[in-house]
Amino acid sequence: MNSETRDKAVVSRRDFLGTASLGMVVLSALSLFAGIFRMSKANVRYEEATKFKIGTAENFPVGTVKKLDDKGVFIFSTDDGLHAISSVCTHLGCIVAVSETGFQCPCHGSKYDENGKVIGGPAPRNLAWLEISRSVDGSLMVDTASAVPAGTRLKLIA
Amino acid sequence: MRNRFYVWLLFISAAVFVLYAVFAAYREATPEWKKYQLTFKEFLVKNAQDAETRDKARALTVEIQQIYLGALGVVDRCTSCHIGVEIPFMARAAEPLARHSGEYLKNHPPDRFGCTVCHYGQGRATNKKEAHGLGHDTHWDYPIIPLEYIQSSCATCHDLEMLRERGGGKLVKGEKLFRDKGCKGCHKLDNVGGVLGKALDGVGSQSIAYFPMTSPIAMPSVKGEKTVYSWMKQHFDDPRNLVLGSEMKSDFTDQESDLLTTYVLSLRSGEMPKKYRRIKETPGAGGAREDGETLFRMYCIACHTTGNESVNDEVFKRTIPAIMNPAFLKAASNTYLKKVIEEGRAGTQMTAWKTAAAGLTDREVDTLVAYITKRRPGERPEPFRSAGYKGDAAHGRELYKIRCISCHGARGQGGVGLNLRNPVVQKEAEPDFLAITIRDGRAGTHMAAFGKKGVGLSDQDIADIVTYVRTLSKEKQPQ
Amino acid sequence: MSDMSRSGMDRMKENLKALKQTVIGSFLRSGRPTSDRSRAAVMFNNFFLHVQGVKTHVNTLRPAYTLGLGLASFFLLMITTVSGVLLMIYYNPSIENAYNSVKDITYVVFAGKLARNMHKWAGEGMILFVLFHMARVFYTGSYKSGREFNWLIGIVLLIITFGINLTGYILPWDQLSYWAFVIVANIIASPKELTDSLGITQYFDIGGFSKELFLGGLTPGKEALTRIYLFHIMLFPILLFTVLGAHFWRIRKDGGLTKPENFLTTAVDGEMLTLPEKKGGIFSTNKTYGLMELAKGRTPAVDKDIENTVLSWPNLLLAEAAVFFLCLAAVVVYSFYADAPLKELANPLIPENPAKAPWYFLGLQELLSYSAFMGGVGVPGLALLGLALIPYLDREQEHVGIWFSSQQGKAVALRAMAVGAMVLIALLVFVINFGWFRTWWPNVPQLLITLINPGTIWVGFMIAWSFIVIRKTGSTRMGAIALFTLFLVSYVILTYVGTELRGPNWDFYWSKSQWPVH
Repeated sequence: MNSETRDKAVVSRRDFLGTASLGMVVLSALSLFAGIFRMSKANVRYEEATKFKIGTAENFPVGTVKKLDDKGVFIFSTDDGLHAISSVCTHLGCIVAVSETGFQCPCHGSKYDENGKVIGGPAPRNLAWLEISRSVDGSLMVDTASAVPAGTRLKLIA
Repeated sequence: MRNRFYVWLLFISAAVFVLYAVFAAYREATPEWKKYQLTFKEFLVKNAQDAETRDKARALTVEIQQIYLGALGVVDRCTSCHIGVEIPFMARAAEPLARHSGEYLKNHPPDRFGCTVCHYGQGRATNKKEAHGLGHDTHWDYPIIPLEYIQSSCATCHDLEMLRERGGGKLVKGEKLFRDKGCKGCHKLDNVGGVLGKALDGVGSQSIAYFPMTSPIAMPSVKGEKTVYSWMKQHFDDPRNLVLGSEMKSDFTDQESDLLTTYVLSLRSGEMPKKYRRIKETPGAGGAREDGETLFRMYCIACHTTGNESVNDEVFKRTIPAIMNPAFLKAASNTYLKKVIEEGRAGTQMTAWKTAAAGLTDREVDTLVAYITKRRPGERPEPFRSAGYKGDAAHGRELYKIRCISCHGARGQGGVGLNLRNPVVQKEAEPDFLAITIRDGRAGTHMAAFGKKGVGLSDQDIADIVTYVRTLSKEKQPQ
Repeated sequence: MSDMSRSGMDRMKENLKALKQTVIGSFLRSGRPTSDRSRAAVMFNNFFLHVQGVKTHVNTLRPAYTLGLGLASFFLLMITTVSGVLLMIYYNPSIENAYNSVKDITYVVFAGKLARNMHKWAGEGMILFVLFHMARVFYTGSYKSGREFNWLIGIVLLIITFGINLTGYILPWDQLSYWAFVIVANIIASPKELTDSLGITQYFDIGGFSKELFLGGLTPGKEALTRIYLFHIMLFPILLFTVLGAHFWRIRKDGGLTKPENFLTTAVDGEMLTLPEKKGGIFSTNKTYGLMELAKGRTPAVDKDIENTVLSWPNLLLAEAAVFFLCLAAVVVYSFYADAPLKELANPLIPENPAKAPWYFLGLQELLSYSAFMGGVGVPGLALLGLALIPYLDREQEHVGIWFSSQQGKAVALRAMAVGAMVLIALLVFVINFGWFRTWWPNVPQLLITLINPGTIWVGFMIAWSFIVIRKTGSTRMGAIALFTLFLVSYVILTYVGTELRGPNWDFYWSKSQWPVH
């Protein structure tokens, strides 16, 4: 047999090992990076529940607006019932304030009407309306993680 | 050749790494709690009544459950396994999926209280062994509380009045036992109590290392789980087995020691935030007026028992005087008794009970004296006028050596008889009191009457002995 | 106009088509490493690789010469660095939260336990490998011929390695951390033992001052933890990487690793050594140094022939990659099975019994049990001083690059090991059975114990034995071998005694199973 083919065989075997090693190295790097990114994502959150009690309907006489500062919610009480509007601006997350025409954001000047509809400024979406529900013990609960269509109100039966 | 060696080394090492990366990913993907949650989800889907609930059940994400309550410092992941605690129809399910027993969660919703506030254990852990914290190798100071003692947690927020009616019976009974058995005779609590034992404030939330699990010399240690709970229970059963040289009294039935354990474990440090507490304002110090009997039980009964007969205590290795014996009371004056209670008896187990020491108020001491002396006989003993005799200490000493030494010791250090070197005896006991005791003896004890009616010593002899006894403190302490 | 713009657009299109080529080309400026020239360029054109020579001596590539120990130390450092940064995502350096955050890392962070284990074991592995590497450098005489100062840099790196491990041990704030911390703080305060004996503490309280500076107070608390954290993640790492850079740079400037004067190639070496394809330039058989030739004096590598060298790419880099993956795999496998300890939350009222330092300091703790100052400051200070002086007291230039220098060196090392082990064990047996001065004369002055205790006696023996060897053999190198061997023997034996044979109250026990059960 000629030595040429034998050389080739040796070379190809060595090349195969080299390629396999390179492959393993690449795989190692990939698994390492995947692990690092997965690790950086927290599995638990140190946040209080998004759902909280706001007391009974008597706390909200018709015609009033209550701002719950620590929760970022406005509670409106009208003849049609109660509704909650998030006070978190849809532009970059500042807390909006009540203005003459509705709401105004102090950070970049977004303006909303009294139903939370954008009427000016950079805000891309309307303010979120939040779900109000009754808990078992009769008190009202708001869930800031659960948005409802604008105009959804909780009817209060006297 | 060499490069091939390095390539092989590289290949094998990298392959091993990739293999173990896969192992690690698998281990992360299959935690203990996951299989319980999957079983739970399956159960929900199977038992769903309508399509909507079935969809809801299907949408359930399997993930670590965490109750985080900043105000309480609670981070509880218990519901990662015990995911069915609040679900009514999980009542018959097997642990860990079963619903919480009783109606406790109605008033204590887990999202407001967490789990470890009542049950202890390690809320952050996500596997059974470490979450329950049992076993020395979990290195957790607060293992899960055994159910027989779980009522100890109720007192964190509730007062005994409320617990009496609302299912805290064991704790209430334990508290009563604690008072009736005279535990505070040796253990301080809220700044009142004796000093022979350790103070009990906050003892229910002490770490395991606080309790000696073995004495320095090889002694049998705590049996079963090495927890504070086992220690507490077993130290009521046999204190000297756990604490070398303990002088604790322990004649408790098994049931009693369980109740006492429940109560003592409820003595925790650290206060719950006000909105969690359901404790009526207790009257301030000194406001509560206990009657004499209650006080006697709380502080005296553990050593003096009924008080009618003197006992030679095996643990104390001395005689405990019969303080309610009429013969004793006949001779002892109220001032003397009060002095003894207030100052204690140095060198013995008798604690000084005054406010500055063990913490009894003046009025409480008076109440106790009144209670102790209530059976004092109407007639006073025949008076002994010491002033009429000039005591001869040398003669007294000779008589002492013949008559007294066998019980009171060569230098008055005591034995079967009392320690006569005691400062209170030396300073506070009037000569008349000593003389009358020698003359008439003390019924119900080993102290015989040495006067004319008994052994036959003359009054002059007695006065000589008294004179000698009152010099005893100057003699050298026996070695 | 339109022609111009069209040709501009065409060129733009061509550039876009050639984008892949040009980007790669700008990265690999010399093209693919297919020729010797471009293979050399891989090394000297790369910022990270150019600290290594373009060509590497085959002796360096022999696994049995270096055992890859220095590289392993460095790669373990890389592993601890990466895993440490990952742990920092979740770790919270406050006494309220530190313990809880470590618990969270072990319980809820994805692969957090594995990352913590890897950090811990790679970090402690560094201590082992730095010591092994030091032993290799010593026994092959590699601290000679211009490398004296690099040996000193190496000792600095050893100290930093100990420091960074110790500060890391304290961060979880469990019982182990806290009581190790207390012990260390009091070692720092231990010069007080000496100043007290001399009666000058009230004027010159160096111990108390250092302790307060270290703790930011008088007891280990929140200030102290902040300082420890700063040391662990900032000061020590910066120092470590800076000094390590100098360590590597000096290796390069000293002409790579040491090799025997009369180097003989083997058949295996021969396979690697093919003739250079080109002549001249850097491939001439003699090194030329361009501008450096103008400089006065010589670096060790100048004028040395470059026969028996091979291109670093791919030969050296392949070996390095292999060692790296070996380290990585070993650390991962070990960490997969062995968990880093985490005990109860720190409790300042109840000490662990026994309160042991981390294992790498338990040899010192054994010495500490005789005298806090001598064990914690005096003896280790002397040992480090002795190690640092070795290259300056032994300046014989023969036999560099040969393990144990000669047959005689092997014999000296073996004898030092045997005699040293016997003497030290005898000393320990004596102390454990009969106690020391205070057992016999309870009122003996502390100064006497500070000066004469088993630790100082052992140091005295080490020095004396080395002088005897120098006298007998007439060679300072042999004396150095004896001294260094004794140092290693005492580190191993004392660490073993402190780890395995000492139990509660620092009493002697044959094994942990005899400890009274907790």
